Amino acid sequence: MTTGQLLTAGLALPLLGFIINRTLGPLRRDLVGGVGSGVIFASFACFAAAAAMNGGGVHHTVLYTWSEGAGTGPAAVPRLGFDLYFDGLAAVMTLVVTGVGALIHVYSGGYMADEDDAGFARFFGHMNLFVFSMLLLVLAHNFVLLVVGWALVGLSSYLLIGFWHDRPTAVAAARKAFVMNVIGDVGIVIASFVAFSSTGGLGFDQLFGVNLKCVVPCPLPIGTSTAELIAFLLLIGAVAKSAQIPLHTWLPDAMEGPTPVSALIHAATMVTAGVYLVARFHPLFAHAPAASATAALIGAATALMAALIATVQTDIKRVLAYSTMSQIGYMFFAVAIGAGVAGMFHLVTHAFFKALLFLAAGNVIHALHGEQDIRNMGGLWKRLPGTSWAFLIGALALSGIPPLAGFFSKDEILAAGTMLGPLRPLPAIVLLLTAGLTAYYMLRVFFIAFLAPARTQGDLHEAPLVMAAPVAVLAVLAVVGGLLQPGPWHVLTDYIGATVEGAAPAASADLLVTLGALTVVVVGVGTAYWRFGQRVTDVGEGAMVLRRAFYWDAVYDGLVVRPLRLLGDMFGRGVEQPVIAGAVEAVSQAAAGMGTEVGRLQSGYLRSYATVFAVGGLVLLVMLAMVVR
Amino acid sequence: MPPLNAFVFLSAFMFVTGTVGVLLRRNPLIVFMSIELMLNSANLALVAFSRFHDSAEGQVFALIVIAVAASEVVVGLALMVAIFKSGRALDIDGLSELRG
Repeated sequence: MTTGQLLTAGLALPLLGFIINRTLGPLRRDLVGGVGSGVIFASFACFAAAAAMNGGGVHHTVLYTWSEGAGTGPAAVPRLGFDLYFDGLAAVMTLVVTGVGALIHVYSGGYMADEDDAGFARFFGHMNLFVFSMLLLVLAHNFVLLVVGWALVGLSSYLLIGFWHDRPTAVAAARKAFVMNVIGDVGIVIASFVAFSSTGGLGFDQLFGVNLKCVVPCPLPIGTSTAELIAFLLLIGAVAKSAQIPLHTWLPDAMEGPTPVSALIHAATMVTAGVYLVARFHPLFAHAPAASATAALIGAATALMAALIATVQTDIKRVLAYSTMSQIGYMFFAVAIGAGVAGMFHLVTHAFFKALLFLAAGNVIHALHGEQDIRNMGGLWKRLPGTSWAFLIGALALSGIPPLAGFFSKDEILAAGTMLGPLRPLPAIVLLLTAGLTAYYMLRVFFIAFLAPARTQGDLHEAPLVMAAPVAVLAVLAVVGGLLQPGPWHVLTDYIGATVEGAAPAASADLLVTLGALTVVVVGVGTAYWRFGQRVTDVGEGAMVLRRAFYWDAVYDGLVVRPLRLLGDMFGRGVEQPVIAGAVEAVSQAAAGMGTEVGRLQSGYLRSYATVFAVGGLVLLVMLAMVVR
Repeated sequence: MPPLNAFVFLSAFMFVTGTVGVLLRRNPLIVFMSIELMLNSANLALVAFSRFHDSAEGQVFALIVIAVAASEVVVGLALMVAIFKSGRALDIDGLSELRG
């Protein structure tokens, strides 16, 4: 098969799985899990083969052409087609999406086994749809496909957060996520309008030139102010999808969805779409210093804020959710300052260990029959040894303990941060501090939930093989994933460096930074041990401002939700009731009243009818006589 | 043969008599007879005009009117029998259930 055919197959397979599972799925439960996971594995194989055949090169496939493009000037019709684009960056992203996705699909076969037939099929169908949407987003080579993939990702996320649609909290969370994401979608759509009006085309190649590869700063066909505008608009979309300040409040609530959904969508893949977008539009951001600086500041601020909130959360999934926000802040910072390789490196390793953490947490929740509060856990180290090891590996990898994956990738971002120069050290310091907080909150969860004395009685059952195996694979990846980049071989730099960084020098790990990061991490681990290691007296509930997550929700509630509700109530009582309902009421009353009045003519006496008839005839006769004369 | 005016006047007299009967009498049988009188006054006029104008059309009309009147009487008499059977008085002022 050619690369183009492989890409087409890889993209089409998850869509096929979605269709099969949503049509035949409820009838054949025995096939749902196999089809759902199988198509993702097959898709992974397609992309792996495509990446192998493609090498470090680029591949461009046109599946269909909607418009050939004609004319010039203001009346011109742009060329538009189903254009797929596959380069190193897309290869990394598709392999993470389908690879981690396949493992989580297998895991779901066990985790969601309690669902009824229709629910089981619906779950796998929507998971397949998500993978398809994500792949479309990644492979898109024009703004139209990007918007389609971007919005479909939001839709499937909405469907999966609200999977348990009989829970009001899940429905509210799904709606919140959808609204926040649509704000981002609008940003992307407007960005594509601006790009179209300034370049006259919708393809990315019209913006950057062919192959998206150029030496930074590449010459762009648009001015700096237009570049800034497009970059800012794209940033709105990226910020919404990646749960960065100020559009981040949907992510913690999204934990209402089933845990595999949290692992795949709200940790490993979907929320990294914003990072991918900035990396993909790297040549544009290189020409938009203000937008890049904004993105970097947003990333650093989100990293710190989310880490602070994570230190006081008691729901195990919410800790992981805030941790995800924080880590994506790192990636945002990296891709925004031009260290695309470091950002993508952290994206890959984070996908491994955060999926691992979520699935391990899923095992715990599964064993405890839905319990998510770490204060009610405890003693899991003895009772769930396998899961505990998996969680520990994930926690240490996330904390940045060498030689696990997170150490290397975080180190690269921190090193890249110092290269901003001595004048702007603040973000790097913030991120360094965040690394310590990360170690603290992860070990806090580990100590309280796993090592502290058990708070419940009874034996717990380890997860079945179908759930344990994906966790084991991810644990191995979380250990060795860091070897992608450091040392003498820079696999990722060789593979995607040219795409995401241009000719900018790759950040190399700085010994001083490494030592500094290690010190901070050790302090974090030590603090966690000091507070929760020996015995747990309190769970570190912390300040109110942290527990309420810096009051973002309260502020949005006061600024947006309540005024809108008030406005709705006002229109409901002031306009709907008196004007609209009143008008309808008046019309019906008028009709009824008229009927009663006219009905009185109907006396029921035959002779009165006859009289009226006769008089009428007489009048007609007289009129006729007058006319004839 | 009498002049046309004589027929027309006779016809008008019959029609008015019928009309007055319909309007004033309460017995449905009499009302029916009055209606019959009105119809036949029209027939008389039709046939007279037909004769004086040497045209058969008026007579055709008269035949149709006779047929219609016959069927109307059938329905009306059946109604009256039904009312009588239900034990009610044959008084058209008493039959006023359809008032609005």
